[in-house]
Amino acid sequence: MPITELSKNELCDTGIEELDVMLGGGIPTGSTVLVVGSSGSGKTTLCMQYLINGAKKGERGVFFTITEPLFKLTKNMEGFEFYDKKLIESGMVNLIDLRIISERLGLDTEKYTVEDASALLDILRDIADELNVKRLVIDSITALCYRLQTPEMIRDFIFKLGSSLAAMKCTTLLTSEVPPRKFQYSQYGIEEFISDGIMFLGDIERKGDLIRTFQLVKMRGAAHSRTKSAMSISTKNGVELAPLLKSRE
Amino acid sequence: MVNVLIDGLKERISNAIKINQSIGIILPASNYPDLVQALFERINSTPEEAWVYVTVTKPCDNILSQFEFLKDSKNIKFVDCISRAAGINKANDNCIFVESPTMLEKIGLEIINIFKEVDENVKKYLVIDSLTNLIIYNDPDIVTEFFYHIINRTRTKNIHTISLAIEEEELDKYLTRLIYLNDKILKVRDSFI
Ligand SMILES: Nc1ncnc2c1ncn2[C@@H]1O[C@H](COP(=O)(O)OP(=O)(O)O)[C@@H](O)[C@H]1O
Ligand SMILES: [Mg+2]
Repeated sequence: MPITELSKNELCDTGIEELDVMLGGGIPTGSTVLVVGSSGSGKTTLCMQYLINGAKKGERGVFFTITEPLFKLTKNMEGFEFYDKKLIESGMVNLIDLRIISERLGLDTEKYTVEDASALLDILRDIADELNVKRLVIDSITALCYRLQTPEMIRDFIFKLGSSLAAMKCTTLLTSEVPPRKFQYSQYGIEEFISDGIMFLGDIERKGDLIRTFQLVKMRGAAHSRTKSAMSISTKNGVELAPLLKSRE
Repeated sequence: MVNVLIDGLKERISNAIKINQSIGIILPASNYPDLVQALFERINSTPEEAWVYVTVTKPCDNILSQFEFLKDSKNIKFVDCISRAAGINKANDNCIFVESPTMLEKIGLEIINIFKEVDENVKKYLVIDSLTNLIIYNDPDIVTEFFYHIINRTRTKNIHTISLAIEEEELDKYLTRLIYLNDKILKVRDSFI
């Protein structure tokens, strides 16, 4: 459906101004979007900002972390002015360590069997449902896929998770860790095909410095721009985008 | 004698910026210290205005220790593009640091972000110190594109812009191209003051 036919409440705005403009208002509600980038590219920051911005307008969110323990995550995020601790304390943004959940479920923390994956999926769905979240983040899907062992399991997991969350009108960001400077959107090559959208956080070299870039590679249901933008990460404003100056990179 | 020079400069800048949206000041390196002194004195004398000073020349910290009266000024904010690249990590409330002068988009973002917080009715001014140094750190083409964006964005937001171009023989053709994007050009010569 062209974006013009989607009414405003069918779009989930990220609250990152230039990104929402690029998206034609926001991410189509219920989408599963891959946020791709190498380590340090800003995936966690962008996802947290998305949740916090949603919470500020009354949309509850949940952040599942696998790569970083909670104390590390919160310590990093506290460095940003957008990070409002009160929203965490009030339960508008819920931070959950997926490894702790796996442990409690008695799952092997390194490798999941088909049954383990199914149990984990149920838990994620239950949490999303119970908290009535409109925004969900898994950081990172790469770490989760690593535990899922086969391409079929990965496909099945993301597909089922995406469908249930879509039914709850919950918009999901999955972070995907890739090696630096590779034109690759996911580690296992599957994640990118099942997701509705791909945001790519990269960089270009300019006079020996790395300039952060952002590109909206794909977004189903949106007539979006694919132009590469410059991305800034600052204490004051978190992730911001600006038109990339093009002359001779 | 020096005071006469500086007062003369102050008056020329004040008059020019009153009637033009953007002015470019071309000056020999020898006049640079007088010119910045004139600028800072002018800024300090008008607390009701809002100024953003982009420095690609000297670290903000050096500027503040040289012009101590700026330390308490509430009408000037710095965007310092060289301290971080030079390994200077001193924090400062009145200053936003950009990691490198090559991060032109970020410089642009920070300028606009600072002005966003200024009341609409306040007179706004931007200083770029200097186009010469931006060209030294970047390809001249990209600086032209950057400056073109800046001139246009500031114009739509009614921000007056003062850009400095320190004469440098090898960069002359690039500087000329840049400086002529301004509405008005001031040439500083000892003999003119
Ligand atoms: N308080 C802060 N202010 C500005 N930049 C920060 C701050 N904290 C982290 N950063 C920058 O953000 C980057 C980390 O982003 P992050 O979201 O953790 O990346 P990723 O999740 O992709 O590994 C760091 O490389 C750092 O440069
Ligand atoms: Mg991360």
